[in-house]
Amino acid sequence: MAEETKPAAAAPPKPAPPPGPPPPKNPGMVTFTIDGREAVVKPGTNIIEAAASVGVSIPYYCWHKRLSIAANCRMCLVEMSNAPGGKLMPACQMTAAEGVAVKTDSPKVKDQQRATLEFLLVNHPVDCPICDQSGECKLQDYYFQYDTTASRLDVPKVKLGKRVPLGKLVVLDQERCILCTRCVRFMSEVRKNPQLGVDARGNHSVITTAPGQPLDDRYSGNVVDLCPVGALTSTDFRFRGRVWFLSSARSICTGCARGCNVFLDYMRDGTYRYRPRENDQVNQEWMCDEGRLSYKPFNDGRVLESRVGKARASRAAAVAEAASRLRTHAGQGTLAWLASPAASLEDLLAAALVARDGLELAEVYVGGQGDGWQDDFLRRADQNPNRAGLAMVARAFGLAVKPASDLAAAVAEGKVKAVWAVGADLATPELAAKLARAEALVVQAVNECELAAAATVLLPASPAPESDGTFVNFEGRPQRFELAYWPRGESLPHWGLCAEVGRALGLSSRWSSARQVYEDLGRRVAGDLPGFQWSSLPSIDRRKGLVPLAAGTVDGRLPGHRERMPLDGNGNVEWSRLPNP
Amino acid sequence: MPYQIDNRPADTRESLYFPEIFRAIGLVVKTFWRNAFFSRDPNTDILERDRSSNRVTTLQYPEEKAPYPAGYRGLHRLVPRPDGSPRCVACYMCATACPAQCIYIEAAEVEGDPIEKYPKQFVIDELRCVVCGFCVEACPKDAIRMDTGEHPAPTYAREGQIYDLKRLLRGPPVSYEKDPWLVRPSRLTDAALKADRAAARPYGTQGTDEYTQTPGFSVRELAAEAKARGEAK
Amino acid sequence: MKRFVGMWLVIGAVLVGLVGLFAAFYALAALGARGAVALGFPGFFGSAIVNAVTLMAVTLMTVAALLTVAERKWSAAMQDRIGANRILVLGKFPLGGVPYLLADALKMLTKESIYPAARSKFLFELAPVLAFSPTFALFAVVPVGPEVRALGQTVGMWVANPDAGLLWIFALAGLSVYGTTLAGWASNSRVGMLGAVRASAQMISYEVSLGLSLVGVMIAYRTVNLQAMAIAQGVEVLGPVPALGLLLQPLGFLVFFTSSFAETKRAPFDLPEGESEIVGYFLEYSGMKFGLLFLAEFVEVVILAAVTTAVFLGGWHPVLFEGWLKAHLDPLAFGAVCAASFLAKVILLTWLQLVIRWLLPRFRYDQIQGLCWKLLLPGALVNVFVTAAAVLVDPSLQVLAWIGVVEIVAIFGITMAVSKPKAAHGGHDHGDAHGHAAHAAGH
Repeated sequence: MAEETKPAAAAPPKPAPPPGPPPPKNPGMVTFTIDGREAVVKPGTNIIEAAASVGVSIPYYCWHKRLSIAANCRMCLVEMSNAPGGKLMPACQMTAAEGVAVKTDSPKVKDQQRATLEFLLVNHPVDCPICDQSGECKLQDYYFQYDTTASRLDVPKVKLGKRVPLGKLVVLDQERCILCTRCVRFMSEVRKNPQLGVDARGNHSVITTAPGQPLDDRYSGNVVDLCPVGALTSTDFRFRGRVWFLSSARSICTGCARGCNVFLDYMRDGTYRYRPRENDQVNQEWMCDEGRLSYKPFNDGRVLESRVGKARASRAAAVAEAASRLRTHAGQGTLAWLASPAASLEDLLAAALVARDGLELAEVYVGGQGDGWQDDFLRRADQNPNRAGLAMVARAFGLAVKPASDLAAAVAEGKVKAVWAVGADLATPELAAKLARAEALVVQAVNECELAAAATVLLPASPAPESDGTFVNFEGRPQRFELAYWPRGESLPHWGLCAEVGRALGLSSRWSSARQVYEDLGRRVAGDLPGFQWSSLPSIDRRKGLVPLAAGTVDGRLPGHRERMPLDGNGNVEWSRLPNP
Repeated sequence: MPYQIDNRPADTRESLYFPEIFRAIGLVVKTFWRNAFFSRDPNTDILERDRSSNRVTTLQYPEEKAPYPAGYRGLHRLVPRPDGSPRCVACYMCATACPAQCIYIEAAEVEGDPIEKYPKQFVIDELRCVVCGFCVEACPKDAIRMDTGEHPAPTYAREGQIYDLKRLLRGPPVSYEKDPWLVRPSRLTDAALKADRAAARPYGTQGTDEYTQTPGFSVRELAAEAKARGEAK
Repeated sequence: MKRFVGMWLVIGAVLVGLVGLFAAFYALAALGARGAVALGFPGFFGSAIVNAVTLMAVTLMTVAALLTVAERKWSAAMQDRIGANRILVLGKFPLGGVPYLLADALKMLTKESIYPAARSKFLFELAPVLAFSPTFALFAVVPVGPEVRALGQTVGMWVANPDAGLLWIFALAGLSVYGTTLAGWASNSRVGMLGAVRASAQMISYEVSLGLSLVGVMIAYRTVNLQAMAIAQGVEVLGPVPALGLLLQPLGFLVFFTSSFAETKRAPFDLPEGESEIVGYFLEYSGMKFGLLFLAEFVEVVILAAVTTAVFLGGWHPVLFEGWLKAHLDPLAFGAVCAASFLAKVILLTWLQLVIRWLLPRFRYDQIQGLCWKLLLPGALVNVFVTAAAVLVDPSLQVLAWIGVVEIVAIFGITMAVSKPKAAHGGHDHGDAHGHAAHAAGH
């Protein structure tokens, strides 16, 4: 540079240098226009994101902000003033440049979008009726938004595999695939486990695994979420329902201590699937396959009735029985509280209050499931979502934390004769068998298990979707989850059962919602949760009315609500078992 | 306008009553003699009847039935494929469109069929049904029709009005040239496939529901066609 | 055309059947008379007993019962319907709905009789009998056929022939009001009571015009004996035209027919029943007691048709070809033809009552009384004076007959003089509206 300045000074008659680019309008930022709107973005931002920042949406299939740019779907082509020869440029690949004018709605762009869609749909089987993606399919959306012309194809479509099982959780329909390679890129870039690839050429290109090698990655389910069309479907959710019948609640995965943020998709009082929810600090937007299936206990094998011994009892009677049995042992050192780290923070706060004030306990035994696998991506070995929260609660109430094995030993020695278990999950069946020897075993269980079967008094508890609540993940990060549907059957969330037990023990615990529990007791743990706002997610009891109704509901039922039809072994409806209307 | 009401006060003659009553007697007598001594035209289409000699418009219901207009929405049926399985693919379109929410579907996966999805259970609560025909319009596969020309039969119990797959799946089968099980290799044998292709109706350039809404397109006609084919063999 | 022929064949067959029936009745009456003579009684004792069975128990009851079926089928024909035809004999033949007769009878007889708790026990049972029996007894004095010599006996086709025949009719017709009134009163139901009050008020009102309308006939024929009246009606008065009551007393006929219609309490005079407002005086009756009240109405219809026939339509005179028939037929056969023609006229009149029933809507109560007191009663009075004057002037009844002709022509003329709806007047409002619109547009 220094060399060049010298001859310039020596030869003044030389024509003035071509005017360089004008100084940026906003220093340090790039300023340009999209459809006449001025956008100011950081340098290096691509056009799709820049356009989104000013409210212009550019259609795309293959681009994903957490994956590399492939620019192979050609859906995002836009007109840019700096393009050579006026070519259309892929908005996903082009970064914003100072002063450039981008057009996304010119006739040229619209023609291109229509043509791209026509090409993408040439061999598409249009089997939306049997496609699980319909309702959340980008092909459908963009067709109605950008194309809406009839097919001009009058030759047979290319036939490919309709039902290619890639792995345990993923099924591929090669005909529906538009070869955006999002799944391929996810496996190689995010998972660093390139199990997927594109095989063959032209019309016959298909996504495939290596011969004989299934897609067995533990995060394979994410490719289903990534797939913008219906090519990759989940064997778990496949054909179980239509997505437009589902409602979503913002929830937290209960599979491990990571606490991945998820959408919990539910219809009526059933959970249908988890979808990862974006949270850069926790799970970006991925989740593991095991966590993806961890919603199943919410639906199946639930404890929905109270039992005293083996006999069914009303919940009120069971609570009274439980309180009387616990009271006889309270204050005599023969009573123990077993808490589950799968219960929410509110559950544990309420239970701790009852344990300390009502039952005069000074220690808590921690149950919960045993350790599982762990990796360096998301999965934690601790399979309980709220162990950190339990520790906080114990500290706040001055309770000593002891492992469940100690309790088993104490029961075996006969030192402890009564156990109050808030949450029945234990690491091994042996532990449960040992605890079953206790004289009085009051269990609040979500699912049927060994401990629930051995309980002298069994109270039905509700899992996460049936209440608001908070989980504290392994990093000490409190994460709120939302109520999706009301508790099934006779069940109540642990905090509700604890309130009833506490009342039966003479406490004045009268919480009617998780919010009230937190407002009442939350300040005891607030020191451990700096900056945590319980109301950061809307709570159910702050909303108007009783049930959050989605738009278009009929007489208070959720869209797509259907009566459950009891079936006999042959798949025929058993009318005699239907309750009378 | 058949009658014009003249709202003037009655004149002297009319207020005598008798003259007008005599005239009216003549009218009734005429009607009586016609109907009493001349036979009724038994045409079930009442509007088409010859009413010059006998003016009776009665339809002797169980023996004579009025023809329903074209496009009459009768009892639902699930249209079978030539092999007897339902054309339905359990897409829930009808259940989604149904304003009465009377359709319950349980989908399941089926092996060995080019269409992977089939209705494990398909129930219509005819008591709740408002007979709007939206399900027929919504169906992308021409799998549900209201072309039976029947009413839901009266029953003594509510359960009888709930039609499940077994009761709904009936009527003559329907297939189109481009139906997946004809285009793709399927569980049908070659011979059966050939027969299906031969029997396939031409693929319509209009939407499939055009067929169901076409006047005169009915189960009876289809049955007649099927019968004719059978006789041809 | 075939149907036309068939129609006349049916009518002819019915007439021939009636002739045969009455021939048999005459023969039976003659046998009865012979039996009575053999037992040492006067001959008419026997014939009266036989006639009581054949005329009242068989003919009257059969016609009344058939009328219940005819009411359905004829009404249907008048209303462009088919009528009751679902009872099929042998699974095939509706037989014109006649099986309904048996079904109805069976139903009435087997249905439970429900008794209102607060009824007047004796009167409640008595009322249907009181309603039915006087009406039924009316038929005793109606001369159905002429006196005929058969099997060596002179027999008449009537049960009794008292000199005060018409007075018997007035007396018994007046009695039948007790049945309806008591029925309503005894059942101790306010609605039944309303019906009973209506019935008594209506029937007593019309009794007056009923009686007055027959005064003219009595003056003209100078008798109250019905058989004598029937014979008098056979006398030719205007050339070959016989002195029918209808000819001599058209106004009287109208008043009598209307009044008798009102006496039957059937539509349009069915205020005592008034199904749509009060169910009527028989509201609390069920089973055969209701059946009796119900049947009384039909019997009343037949009997009033019979009295009208006897007094106004020439009685048993066949009217047409009477001379020829009398000259050429055996006396018994002639008698049978006469009796058949009487019954045919009765059937025709009952049918006419049915026509009127379906023609007119139910009167309002004030209309009913207005019709009686303002139209029928003055009409009957005028008729009495005119008839009396005419008979005084010309005892041969010719003047009266001419007056009758004039009346008939006048009624016919008024009936035919239909005022055409004034098209100009009818369209006036319409045109006016247009005019206004045009006017407004002009502004």
